[in-house]
Amino acid sequence: MMAAIFDLNHPAHTVHWHFFLMTVSNIVVIVVMLVVFAVAILVPFPGHGRRGAAK
Amino acid sequence: MSGSTRRSWTGAVRERAVGALPPEKLLPDSQPAYMASWIYIFGVLSLVSLMLIIASGVILSLKGPGWWHFTGVGHFFNSIHLWSVELFFFFMVIHLWGKYWMAAWRGGRARVWMTGAVTFVVAIPCALTGYVSQQNFDAQWISTQAKDGMNAVGVGAFFNVTNFGQMYSYHVLLLPLAVVGLVVAHILLVRKHGIVPPFHRFDGGDLPVVALAPTADAREASAGGDAAPASRPVSGAGAP
Repeated sequence: MMAAIFDLNHPAHTVHWHFFLMTVSNIVVIVVMLVVFAVAILVPFPGHGRRGAAK
Repeated sequence: MSGSTRRSWTGAVRERAVGALPPEKLLPDSQPAYMASWIYIFGVLSLVSLMLIIASGVILSLKGPGWWHFTGVGHFFNSIHLWSVELFFFFMVIHLWGKYWMAAWRGGRARVWMTGAVTFVVAIPCALTGYVSQQNFDAQWISTQAKDGMNAVGVGAFFNVTNFGQMYSYHVLLLPLAVVGLVVAHILLVRKHGIVPPFHRFDGGDLPVVALAPTADAREASAGGDAAPASRPVSGAGAP
């Protein structure tokens, strides 16, 4: 059987600061979502300039 | 049908449905030009993820836990099902953020917003019941943790996460029906009301639209060397 890409044979790593407690994996997913959200807003859509010029 | 003929309920339903969603609105061949942004793709990405979830889920339910736990192909489809769910929530959250910041409930679109929000809420127990239906130690751990949460809010007697039969029924029938029904309603409402325009377009004026595929006129114009515009104005498109 193939080994997992990440070693999962241990308790999850967590970030704990005062009341804040979250696993590293969840934090990574949230950060990636924020990055994708920002990229989706900032990166121009293909053909957008051409369409805009044709208005 | 003459005016004196009594109208049947099927005719009444048809007239009402076509009135609310005429074919050009139900299956449009153009969209407003302001949709030329990546932020508008996360709704359809959520939809594609949901289709993958349902397709892989149907295969898993046909083959059973022995297959998805102990065969290579079963593992593969189990993973497809899991990661489709992860992507579904990933895309749905970004879709939610985008629609929240563009106040997508404007212009009589409250029901569009509400069906989307309720879909998100219903999808959460749909995923939870899947995690507790895996038939492994992971499912046991999750169900024994979740039961305390359910008991804490007083629903443990009705929604017993340690009852595999109940959870599996919820996961493969009741909650998917609710999610799919809500998504269908959400999409039909989007078709009916149109995509919410950006704030600076929210004046009810003429909005340019872009054909999803070249129209016959555009193809002829292109063949003739005429620099036809890629967009054309449609009065009131997306107006409140």
